[in-house]
Amino acid sequence: MSECVLRLDSVVKRFAGHTAVRNLSAEVPRGGIFGLLGPNGAGKTTTIRMIMNIITPDAGRIVLFGGQPASRALTSRIGFLPEERGLYKKMRVLDHLVFFGEIKGLTPRDARTRTRAWLERLGLQDWSTHKVEDLSKGMQQKVQFISALLHDPELLVLDEPFSGLDPVNSQVMKDVVVELAREGRTILFSTHIMEQAERMCDRIVIMARGEKIVDGRIADVKREFGGNYVALSFGRDAERAGAVLRDRSLVAQVDDYGASAEVRLAEGAGPDKLLSRLVAAGVGLVRFEVVEPSLNSIFIAKVGADAAVARAEEVALA
Amino acid sequence: MPPWPGPRRWRLHKVWAVVRREFISRVQSRAFVLSTILGPLFMGALFVMPILLEKRQTAPKHVAVLDGAQGAFGRQVAERLTAEMRDTVTHTLPRYRVEYVRAEGRVDAARDSLVAMTGLRKSGAEALDGVLVLTDSTIESGHMQYYGANVGSPNDMSALNAAVRPLVTAARLERAGVDPSIVNAAERRVDLRTERVSDGKLTGQSGSASFLLAYVMSFMLYLALLLYGMQVMGSVVEEKSTRIVEVLVSSLTPFQLLLGKVIGVASVALVQLGIWAGTAMVLTTYRVQVAGLVGASSKSVSDLPIPTVTPMMLAVFLGFFVLGFFFYAAMYAAVGSMCNSHQEAQQSQTPVTLFVAAGLLLMFSLLSEPNGTMAHALSFVPFFAPFVTPVRYSLSPLPWSELLLSVLAMLVGLVVVVWIAARIYRVGILSYGKKPKLAELARWVRTA
Repeated sequence: MSECVLRLDSVVKRFAGHTAVRNLSAEVPRGGIFGLLGPNGAGKTTTIRMIMNIITPDAGRIVLFGGQPASRALTSRIGFLPEERGLYKKMRVLDHLVFFGEIKGLTPRDARTRTRAWLERLGLQDWSTHKVEDLSKGMQQKVQFISALLHDPELLVLDEPFSGLDPVNSQVMKDVVVELAREGRTILFSTHIMEQAERMCDRIVIMARGEKIVDGRIADVKREFGGNYVALSFGRDAERAGAVLRDRSLVAQVDDYGASAEVRLAEGAGPDKLLSRLVAAGVGLVRFEVVEPSLNSIFIAKVGADAAVARAEEVALA
Repeated sequence: MPPWPGPRRWRLHKVWAVVRREFISRVQSRAFVLSTILGPLFMGALFVMPILLEKRQTAPKHVAVLDGAQGAFGRQVAERLTAEMRDTVTHTLPRYRVEYVRAEGRVDAARDSLVAMTGLRKSGAEALDGVLVLTDSTIESGHMQYYGANVGSPNDMSALNAAVRPLVTAARLERAGVDPSIVNAAERRVDLRTERVSDGKLTGQSGSASFLLAYVMSFMLYLALLLYGMQVMGSVVEEKSTRIVEVLVSSLTPFQLLLGKVIGVASVALVQLGIWAGTAMVLTTYRVQVAGLVGASSKSVSDLPIPTVTPMMLAVFLGFFVLGFFFYAAMYAAVGSMCNSHQEAQQSQTPVTLFVAAGLLLMFSLLSEPNGTMAHALSFVPFFAPFVTPVRYSLSPLPWSELLLSVLAMLVGLVVVVWIAARIYRVGILSYGKKPKLAELARWVRTA
């Protein structure tokens, strides 16, 4: 299983005035869930469009399925959910999905059988003869999701698959994605929601301003990032905790969520010291746990600083 | 790996999927069903309306002939007008009810009092439709004066003129001393009857019938090119504005997509035109029965100028329709691909639509001279050939060489236009934001 489903070799994409993707190299191994993370404008969607052969890179190479250059001939092996969703509003759900199956190389009959099975699985079987415009937004998103995996692709490319979904639909799609990955298919998805990536992905790439910042297995990324992290929850008196957490000799950084917080300890300060200070301050602790850094704090630490630098560059150029 | 069909078969398979989608989603739409039904209804109305209208206009025109001339001339005019008959759809009726008034030297006063009774809004037995004034100078100068409510009607005026003209001629000849019997014989009516000859054979079709055919055909071409061309544009804009195009373009080439789209819409157009043409054929074949339904006599309808359409004529028409449609649809698709919304596309399609409209206008001007230099030249201009060539073909037979040359010119134009349009389309469908300037378009065409 060491084979690469997708390899990017120093890929560059420039648009009028700016470079969207700069020298991006990455490898997506077969099987599992791969996360492409980054803030808005990081170049995630551009990268995905290049993988899908919608646009061509200005430099570098994209290699799919161990050796073949990206091309439409491979489209039957790839499923794609674009960032901006769109369906033919006037078409019937069944016809629509059959059409999408056909342009991926399925025969009409095969496409129809598979569509029925998927509609049933996602609870849309009663809607197959309705027009797309009659469906609720959540149902339309399910239809779009089905269209991406109808032809049973080896590689599923999902651009921001969970954005705009309600928790129920989000859960349904997550279950499908996890199951597909378990069956040995490869899922590449982009997101800027770190919690989701943290829970689902085996490997990630974090991009910012067109460049790769972080690359690797999540566990490795966290270990390399290092630092002493403590996760806290307060039952009451969050204000009293504030005074303790503001002590720079103890705490280097706080990611405050109000009732809870993630804290990076200052150099040389142990978790036990923090615990005794908090108890002394009379903070009603509900949770005190020494943890690995969350992806979110890594993301903010890396991308925040980098974005600031890049912005300074921009100002200097102007 | 599952047994996917081979790449070659695939390409067609995908184009076919796009064709089917365009076709089915259009044919199912309410707009298509409505226009397909309304088209024949409209045609039926065009056919029945003149019959109904004519039925209402059967009352003879009440005309006063004011005779200020010496001799019997004025009385002859009055008699001739009284004898004029008019064929309506249902009956043969007198055309005029004539009031003969002798002027007795006071022409102006008599005229004024007659004019005062003319064109009254409240119609009664006394009201006149018009006053024809004859004086001594009428015979020499040929001038006569008619005052009437219906002077705006070219039909009425030419009928009046045609009725009086031979009498003036006869009066002149008599004054010159020609024997009245010879004058009488010379005065007899001349009637030009036309019949179309095609390829050395009589077609049994009158000139007005082939004119009608040409007229209807060019109008159908115009409507179909415009309406369906815009549908192609709308479809491109829809895919672009909903971003469906990203999924499409990752699965098929922009050219496959464009091809499937144009073929799909063209087949919808052909189906609709087929239904309309079929209705027209049924209407004309059973016109006697249809006329009977609205109470018109069978004789009058069977005399209507109904063109016969030969298979070759149909082939030329369809061939040029398809070529013209591909030609213009490619341009409409290119325009659609440059725009982000339907409104923007509506504004941007003007140049293309102007060409279509110019084609129709040029064709109308060519109807009077289908074999002139202009008509020859325009048959080889791809923008206008789809209008000009089939219409010319229906009016007078074209030599094979000219027909083939026109098709060839059309094909060359088609290849060039599709090549450019496909390149604009390829870049356009994935470009959002401001509409491209001309220079930018040129770059798209070069770099794509």
